[in-house]
Amino acid sequence: MLFRSEEHIDKWCEQKGAPRGAVLSLEESWQLAKGWYHDRLRPDWRRKTPEEAEAFFNEHGLTDPFWRLSVKNE
Amino acid sequence: MAELERFVRLYIYGQFLEYARPPTVEQTAEALHTTRDVIRGVFEKLARDRVLALEPDGRSIRMAMPFSAVPTPFEVRAIQYKWYANCAWDALGIPAMLNCDARITSKCPDCDEQLTLAVMDGDVVGHTEVVHFTVPAARWWKNIVFT
Repeated sequence: MLFRSEEHIDKWCEQKGAPRGAVLSLEESWQLAKGWYHDRLRPDWRRKTPEEAEAFFNEHGLTDPFWRLSVKNE
Repeated sequence: MAELERFVRLYIYGQFLEYARPPTVEQTAEALHTTRDVIRGVFEKLARDRVLALEPDGRSIRMAMPFSAVPTPFEVRAIQYKWYANCAWDALGIPAMLNCDARITSKCPDCDEQLTLAVMDGDVVGHTEVVHFTVPAARWWKNIVFT
């Protein structure tokens, strides 16, 4: 979800009783989107394996358990 | 990915790009000169492989990421088209995929204020906006529509 600012995330989580998840800046999100989607229209595109996806997240600095996907980490 | 799956996938994305909606089983079968049963099987295979997300009817496409077949709070306008994305990441994913400028509008879930972002010349332009991922990555596909 896109929030106006971090303060609005805190207010929303408190109001909803929802745990705060992962928060990315616009620039971080944009870099993530570019890396994830830049090749989606190529005929030879294939979905990343969980291990590849987790490595992709790690390359973008997302090393928190929130971003873990591979079986060995579950 | 088998050859037919690749053709079907590319046809689906082509239809989303052109019409902002996915093709039906019937349209896809006709375009690719095969039967509805074959295409329905391919849709199901692509959904099992998490390339697509289908509606509960098991035959209509709900998502071909980053595109959404239904209106969402994430509207993306680019190159004279308008699409809906599944989430904030996917909203950025459309100009990332198309390598184009875009204008993204959404609403802050907290204050309901409209938010507008731009992608211009390869950069994202906003204000203080941030993206909140509520569901850990390992659980995204347990309910991809909610995610």
